[in-house]
Amino acid sequence: MSNNSQNGKSGIFKDGGCNGKCLETLGNGVVKTNPIVYQVLGICSALAVTGRVETALVMGGALIFVLAMSNLMVSLLRSFMPRRIRMITEVAIIATFVILFDQFLKAFYWDMSKQLGPYVALIITNCIVMGRTEAFASQNPPFLSIIDGAANGIGYAIILALIAVVRELIGSGTILGHVVLSTKWYQPNLLFILAPGAFFTLGLLIWVINAVNPSRQTEDEK
Amino acid sequence: MRTVVFAIVLGIVCSSTLAVASTFLAPYRKANEEAEKVRNYLAVLGIPIDEKWDSKTLLDVYKKDVRTKKLGDFTLYENVSSSEEGGIVAIPFSGAGLWAPVEGVISFEPDLTTIRGIRFYKQEETPGLGGEISSTWFQNQFKGKKIVSKNGKPGFHIIKPGTPADSNAVDGITGATMTSERVQTMLNNLAKKLWEERDNYVQ
Repeated sequence: MSNNSQNGKSGIFKDGGCNGKCLETLGNGVVKTNPIVYQVLGICSALAVTGRVETALVMGGALIFVLAMSNLMVSLLRSFMPRRIRMITEVAIIATFVILFDQFLKAFYWDMSKQLGPYVALIITNCIVMGRTEAFASQNPPFLSIIDGAANGIGYAIILALIAVVRELIGSGTILGHVVLSTKWYQPNLLFILAPGAFFTLGLLIWVINAVNPSRQTEDEK
Repeated sequence: MRTVVFAIVLGIVCSSTLAVASTFLAPYRKANEEAEKVRNYLAVLGIPIDEKWDSKTLLDVYKKDVRTKKLGDFTLYENVSSSEEGGIVAIPFSGAGLWAPVEGVISFEPDLTTIRGIRFYKQEETPGLGGEISSTWFQNQFKGKKIVSKNGKPGFHIIKPGTPADSNAVDGITGATMTSERVQTMLNNLAKKLWEERDNYVQ
């Protein structure tokens, strides 16, 4: 993302604050450099919460919120932030937003919070968040940083949703709790609910996407 | 110097944001935790509940169908509904788990000897290993077990899966020996104490 670093000094509101890079940034986060498929980051939670589509969507939402807000804060602070405590500052900001989201779930969506268990709190250690604040937000203007954060969150959420659809459909015959494959004639495959199912699904998904649409890096290597 | 000031300001801002949010959300969170507890009490007492009930409905049912009683140091929660489950008593228990305190509730038939159901509603054991104590298969094993062995010795045991079954033992969790041991200690203490008090129990 260093190609965007020179734009750091331009005003927030000039050209909508993103110097014509809004769409490019959005595309990068969601597709071109998708954090899961091409960077293979955030795998832990991608494996853990994708047993059901509902939990995967909430987790995706959580990451979009945390990424966008952390990127915004880090970007706003980027010129005052002492370099020596840069990392710990980023972690503190990320942790604040993650705990806020966790508290919100516990207060208003108790059942969802129970199902997600420790994984919401573990967003603090999600490599995607730290990666984006460090690589992008600390060198780019606030508005563009929000877009980058949200884009990466959306990219993450889409992949999680895809894995969850496969796992919930094969594993329990339902989508979002609605019965699609009736157990009258369909024998649910328990393997897909258990952790190994997530490994297979994610592995195959990354392979298929990379085979159909190789990332830039792999093309360069050729 | 700038670094120190920055760190202090950041710390204050972050922590006060969280403190404000936490204070503001505390009543909602407490209500949820209370409802969770009530939900588990009702479940072990055999009172039918609907998954979709909100906390107020749960509390209403709880107030209507559950009475508390004292027995020695124990507080008993008795099912006083007119259904055939009436007379079942629940007793809360808690103790040290491997990572954090474990809280649960166990219910007995009116003889205070035969286990009717058990729920571990608050635990932070390793997900997938010790955390399995909250799973249905583990909790279902307890139904019909007794807190006294065949030769009349009070106590409760969690044994290695594969060893011969006993009237006062259930299978432990493979890979979660520490959690199993701690849960056994909790239940064993409860069983022994309850066995002593059992004769003083008036229905």
